[in-house]
Amino acid sequence: MNMQFLVDGLLTGSMIGLGAIGVTLTYSILRFSNFSHGDLMAWGTYATLMFVGAITALFGKVAPIAPLSFGWPLLLALALGMLFTGGLALLLDKILFQRLRAKGQMIIVVMASFGASMALRSLLEFLFTSSPAYFSRAIQIAKPIGFGIRITPDQIALLLLTAALVTAVHLLMTRSQIGREMRAVSQNIGLARVVGIDVARVVRFTWLIGGALACVAGVMIGVLVQIRPLMGFDMLLPVFAAAILGGIGSIPGAVLGGLIIGLSEAAAVQIFGAEWRAAIAFVILMAVLFVRPIGLFGVGER
Amino acid sequence: MARTVLEVRSLEAGYEPGVPIVRGASIRVEEGEIVVVLGPNGAGKSSFIKAIAGLVPVSGGSVTLDGQDITGAPAHRMVRLGLAFVPQTENVFPLMSVEDNLKVAGGVLPKREVAPRIEEMYRLFPDLRERRTTPAGNLSGGQRQMVAVARALMVRPKLLVLDEPSAGLSPKFVSMVFQMLTDVRKAGVTILLVEQNAKAALAIGDRAYVLVEGRDAHEGVASELWNDPVVAELYLGHRASPAQGGESR
Amino acid sequence: MEFLAYGAFFLTTALIFSLITLGLNLQWGLTGLFNVGLAGFVAIGAYTSAILTTPDDAARIGGFDLPILLGWLAAMIVAGAVAAVIGAATLRLRSDYLAITTFGVAVVVQLVALNAQGLTGGPFGVGFIPRPFGSLAENPIVFNFANLAIVAVVTLVFFLALEHLARSPWGRVLKALREDEKAAASLGKSARAYRIQAFALGGAIMGLAGAVQAHFIGFIAPENYLPTLTFQVWTMLIVGGSGSNRGAVLGSVLVWAIWVGSGAAVSALVPTDQQARAAALQIVSIGVMLCVILLVRPMGILGGTPKRKAPAEPAAGRP
Repeated sequence: MNMQFLVDGLLTGSMIGLGAIGVTLTYSILRFSNFSHGDLMAWGTYATLMFVGAITALFGKVAPIAPLSFGWPLLLALALGMLFTGGLALLLDKILFQRLRAKGQMIIVVMASFGASMALRSLLEFLFTSSPAYFSRAIQIAKPIGFGIRITPDQIALLLLTAALVTAVHLLMTRSQIGREMRAVSQNIGLARVVGIDVARVVRFTWLIGGALACVAGVMIGVLVQIRPLMGFDMLLPVFAAAILGGIGSIPGAVLGGLIIGLSEAAAVQIFGAEWRAAIAFVILMAVLFVRPIGLFGVGER
Repeated sequence: MARTVLEVRSLEAGYEPGVPIVRGASIRVEEGEIVVVLGPNGAGKSSFIKAIAGLVPVSGGSVTLDGQDITGAPAHRMVRLGLAFVPQTENVFPLMSVEDNLKVAGGVLPKREVAPRIEEMYRLFPDLRERRTTPAGNLSGGQRQMVAVARALMVRPKLLVLDEPSAGLSPKFVSMVFQMLTDVRKAGVTILLVEQNAKAALAIGDRAYVLVEGRDAHEGVASELWNDPVVAELYLGHRASPAQGGESR
Repeated sequence: MEFLAYGAFFLTTALIFSLITLGLNLQWGLTGLFNVGLAGFVAIGAYTSAILTTPDDAARIGGFDLPILLGWLAAMIVAGAVAAVIGAATLRLRSDYLAITTFGVAVVVQLVALNAQGLTGGPFGVGFIPRPFGSLAENPIVFNFANLAIVAVVTLVFFLALEHLARSPWGRVLKALREDEKAAASLGKSARAYRIQAFALGGAIMGLAGAVQAHFIGFIAPENYLPTLTFQVWTMLIVGGSGSNRGAVLGSVLVWAIWVGSGAAVSALVPTDQQARAAALQIVSIGVMLCVILLVRPMGILGGTPKRKAPAEPAAGRP
């Protein structure tokens, strides 16, 4: 077997994992599966692309940071895109999910997220058409690093970025007051109120983090593959599968689940061919549901 | 004369509009007291205390805490107003360490006061210091109550309100929990609790109210109430006789 | 005359949608099971029947040239069986897991339809699917009305059967389970069995609808079964009113009319190079419509959806 699948798998796994963190957070704190999360990824990517365009228009063409294919404009645009996507998630919550949540039937909220997903995705198609876009058309040379593995500088940079973000989110959840409050709300929302936690504030924060990470995952796909309106929706199944495999509510679980699914997909591509990639997540999902529905780090339904 | 910490006047409350469970109950708690609310099953004790804590909608009457009207304030505001509530069950965050349980409650305090306050809690409950990194869900029932009380005290409340702190505990832990509450009172905290275990509660309480059908039916000094034959037989489930009076203390 | 033929064609399609929506209403309206992958079940039925009834084809497995009715029956059995397996895997878990899993079913079915060329014909799909009244195709009006008649009969039969089922003891148990989570929990395993039955039966009806449509059009391809289909049917049910079989039929006809009408307007008014964009906007507006109805009138036009009581917030923690 060609060891190259390790690099591909880690990269795909990073994208899935970053998406799964958002899904697992909304699930554990707001208690619903957000089907529009994938489309937040796509919106974040297009927003970042627009910001790159705006920066280029303002400052002219900026040379990329060698040996990467992108320069500081993309990094700045990514930061703006993360803010934008977090804001978009907040807006969706404000006009849609929050009102339905108040009515108490969580599955209606899931349905609304499905409707919102359709509308968001098609709006992207309307605005940008379904033909793919790219951050950069420069072709990077993959450097051999032994064992028959080749990797490009972009890929290394994005893996490092993922590691940094995941560490940051983990520290935020375990060491900061807002992180403790988020965990408290996910474990017992009634008690959280009694303790004096402002649940509405925790919910807002959850959307901001989930949206921002969705944007990063989307931009990774955009840098490494291409930008399409469907790019996020196509990631939804692996993202959900990763969150469930890792154990709903667990951030390390979401990341590990993402990596497992990414690596399995990459391995399966070598064995069965690329066209069957999307089935892997489903097979893993079904296996988890039959064997251990609480996932690797799950604690069971409370 | 002691300051009145809590004054509840003709409180009416219930989950559904038009169906009050609490129907005009009034109580008063003075500074430094332990006041017990007793009553037969279904008397609305629990709803009464939850209505005070902002967890059951209030439809009439008033709740005054240390002179300010807190009637119907939402639960998450109560802590800031000075009323800390300890629910009957599931009163700790099971997957968080003991210390994180205290820290999360400290969010109401100014940042620099959190660590010293946790230290004070560990002095009051030395067992908790030993288990500061243990997830609260892994503790025994008695220790969990300790975490719950310490968590409530984190914010230096004017009044600590407990809903049946002895429920579901083995006899050994029941006495431990009531001992803990007397220690807490010694530390200067005013306490209001609802209890099913009348004997143990009256043993540590200063005054008590008996709630019947959502109203306060009797009020008295704790020890006297235990020996009041009418109250005892009807609501506390024992036959009072002066000879037993001493034992019950 | 042409108008009549088109009217029959329109109604036939709308009634096939009604059949899918009736299946969804059994799953969601009556039982409260959230199926986000119904396009997958429709596709399973369509492909099953197509493979069994088409004439022999050297390019792929199948083409067994079996009678149409046998194909329809098989479509129900296969789609129902897949639904039963999915139900067994997820119905003991939180409702979201069913949603995610059915979503996955649709993805995988789409993948198989596209890639298992030896079975499904790949992107080109399956053609030469026998039509029930193929011999009448010379005369479009008669042909369309014959199709309408058969689809109307099938839909009516299932409509009446489902109405009957909803009032039967079986249906009453499902409703009770839906409205009272506690009762459902106390019934334990048998509650799950009831739900699996309802989910499987709903899946079978969707499969049948897929088969009927395949034989009505004579040709199927993977792109007929994209998530947009799932989304359309959901909107039909929500607009009509979940819980009501009449609402399901009414919603299907109404939403399909809106869809066809706006589609016609797009192709008439929008320049050719912008039509893909306008079609995207069409989906956006339907998505917004779904969300608005959920917000404003969640019971739909005819829905007497029993409101599940929002559980009173427990003092702390869950009961």
